[in-house]
Amino acid sequence: MLPFDPVNFRGQFEFFQHNPDWVYLDNAATMHKPNAVIDAITAFYQRNNSNVHRGAHSLSQNATRAFEQARDDIATFVNARERQQIVFCSGATAALNQIAFGLMHTVLKAGDRVLITALEHHANIVPWQMHCARFGVTLDVVPLDNQHQVDQQAFSEMLQRKPKVVSLSHISNVLGHIQPVVQMINQAKAAGALTVVDGAQGIVHDSIDMQALDADFYVWSGHKLFGPTGIGVLYGKTAALELLTPIFGGGEMISEVQFSHSLFNILPFRLEAGTPDIAGAIGLAAATNWLQKVNRNEIKNYKAMLLNQFFEGLKRIDGLDILSSPVHNAGIVALNVQGEHPADVAELLNQQKVAVRGGQHCAMPFFSQLGLAGAVRFSFAPYNNEADVTTSLQALTQAVEILTA
Amino acid sequence: MTLDQLLTDTKPALSHIYNEDLPELSQAKDWQSKYRILMHLGRKLPPIPEKMKQPSLLVKGCESRAWLMHYYNKHQDQHFFVLDSEARIVKGLMAIMLCLVNGMSNTELKKFDLAHAFDKLNLKPYLSQSRGSGLNAMMVRIKDCCH
Repeated sequence: MLPFDPVNFRGQFEFFQHNPDWVYLDNAATMHKPNAVIDAITAFYQRNNSNVHRGAHSLSQNATRAFEQARDDIATFVNARERQQIVFCSGATAALNQIAFGLMHTVLKAGDRVLITALEHHANIVPWQMHCARFGVTLDVVPLDNQHQVDQQAFSEMLQRKPKVVSLSHISNVLGHIQPVVQMINQAKAAGALTVVDGAQGIVHDSIDMQALDADFYVWSGHKLFGPTGIGVLYGKTAALELLTPIFGGGEMISEVQFSHSLFNILPFRLEAGTPDIAGAIGLAAATNWLQKVNRNEIKNYKAMLLNQFFEGLKRIDGLDILSSPVHNAGIVALNVQGEHPADVAELLNQQKVAVRGGQHCAMPFFSQLGLAGAVRFSFAPYNNEADVTTSLQALTQAVEILTA
Repeated sequence: MTLDQLLTDTKPALSHIYNEDLPELSQAKDWQSKYRILMHLGRKLPPIPEKMKQPSLLVKGCESRAWLMHYYNKHQDQHFFVLDSEARIVKGLMAIMLCLVNGMSNTELKKFDLAHAFDKLNLKPYLSQSRGSGLNAMMVRIKDCCH
């Protein structure tokens, strides 16, 4: 394992050579890709491109090997027990839709309950809403406490209603707060629920050991983890994956098709209808292999240092409402300039080439609870540096000055 | 408060913006000066009172919420609008839009080219894509008021 060297790390992202003027702090939306990922994708298309799992020719067998190797690499990355537990899909949203749809009838029946939290991304709200309504399942939402954290007392109480499924985010995409997922998963399991974790932000922050975490499902998107867009992972325990009715039917997911009926294939193929995103899977595995070469604890400490500097700098700017807490924070700061709309603040930062997200970050219910129009979100990645912190703080100071002049 | 009153209150603000601020805006050299003027313009427009902000007045397509009210004076063939937005930049841009279109005849309004007008004010390079599309959504709503 290599020690983490911030300059060398950033140097592997060509994006910054092409955009030297920009400070990119919208990493919770998507991350940039290191050369290792771009090279792997290019090499696949240039040298190995063929469809997988079906060709009679060696080229297809080579592509299949590379694609299945990607599955193995990602299984190793998260310490999955078996390779079939890694199901490729287009991203966390697709995975959550597959789970919500797939559990109806097999696990969830009319009159049952599903429990989510008030801190969820729309991707962990809307699929449940869509399918719960159609199948007569009730969706309950754990409220937040006054620190904008999931109210653990309420969570315990709501588990007594015996939800069949508990679905929660590992890390809030709005605030960056790390949820006590281990404890919550254990409680949910004790209450007899299947557990689903939206790991879109969680997988980025820390190395995850799926066997230790012991959730039934854990899902994430590749593009937020230095990988390409269009690929994501639905991890599940084998028994849990077997419970899912496939949301898509078609090639690859069947073993036999008659006009009267079809027999489904085994895992993971049963849940991977159609030609998969072969290059995407290879690109994502390149990202995880690349990331594993660096000491992730040092990465985490470096990010914590940047975050700390940023929080310190914010203290010197008057008139801010900071929604994120620096404690148990994965590198995201949501804030507002008092009395100002987040779209205005984000635009004034944009004028200064500081890329942030302004608005509701796909979490409208969260902001309605707080009575806010949204927030401006600064999200950090390990390729950011101290100059980014300084520049963004200066830009925010300038924005506040223009807004309140 | 009625729409009539709002229109009456808006009128002097618009003529002031047209005569004083727009020339200044088109000559401002850097983004800071342009945006300072934009903020200032937004503050000059009288706000639509909360209880008049009916959901039907909301303009979709903006990142922030914006409201549009319309009045057509049949006898003089003149369209009048009142706008409000919760975001200052949008409101400033809409103030410009309003002082260009308020009082236009039906034919004039149909022909009005917003992009061209903003070009003349040398604003285009300073507007992000999302701000531009919000403005276009507002312009579509304004043009929908034509007959």
